[in-house]
Amino acid sequence: MTGDRKRRIEIHIPSELGYEKVAMEAAVAVARRMGFSPDRVQDLRTAVAEACINAIEHGNKLDISTQVTVILIEQPASLEVNVSDEGKQPLPAQRPQPGLPPAFRGWGMFLIENLMDEVQVRTEPDGGNQIRMVIYLDR
Amino acid sequence: MSDKLEATVRRRDGLSIIQFKGDMTTFAEDVVHDVFREATRDSRRNLALDFSACEYINSAGIAVIIGIVTEARRQGWRIFVFGLSTHYQKIFRMVGLGDYIEMCASEDEALQRAKPPGA
Repeated sequence: MTGDRKRRIEIHIPSELGYEKVAMEAAVAVARRMGFSPDRVQDLRTAVAEACINAIEHGNKLDISTQVTVILIEQPASLEVNVSDEGKQPLPAQRPQPGLPPAFRGWGMFLIENLMDEVQVRTEPDGGNQIRMVIYLDR
Repeated sequence: MSDKLEATVRRRDGLSIIQFKGDMTTFAEDVVHDVFREATRDSRRNLALDFSACEYINSAGIAVIIGIVTEARRQGWRIFVFGLSTHYQKIFRMVGLGDYIEMCASEDEALQRAKPPGA
């Protein structure tokens, strides 16, 4: 990678659990090319998978006629990942709390927020959720 | 997409060991609950979970694990975990599972820890 030119990769996956692995492995390949450390690559791997699962399960409600769009944007010092659904319903706002006893479900957004350097969740007024995540090379 | 999980139980000294092979996701729930019942039907009260052949664990898989760990603790079992990558060790601690399980570097370490004092 040279200069500050952005490189952009766009992936569309069906709204079926299991296909998150396609986006996950693409993100891993890009992060490795960019020189992220192995532990940060693993953080990204989990965060991308969880964002896709949220989009498939909650946003698109497992409707196979809809798709999840994943956009990876390489920047000189960071990798930005945008995961969008077709917005059948908003993503859950509540997060579980670690502790005693541990909650059973809902760990996806918790993990994303704890593994990525920046996270923003947006629901468009006319439907469609987007999770924007950024991971920096120097952190 | 294949998300298959296989799980087997074996016994070694005072330890019931469940080995997971494949993906720990929502599709694993029935397999995990079945193998858990099989592993905890005796009175050993020491259960080890072997994740060394488990490459992908997602949030639904974590929920499944929380379920069996909670049930095992309720029944008075000690739970040992080995074979987890450093990343998944971090995730387990992050969600609070670290308070319920004993993370070990290997099966032998789990076995040692499970031995009663003086044994």
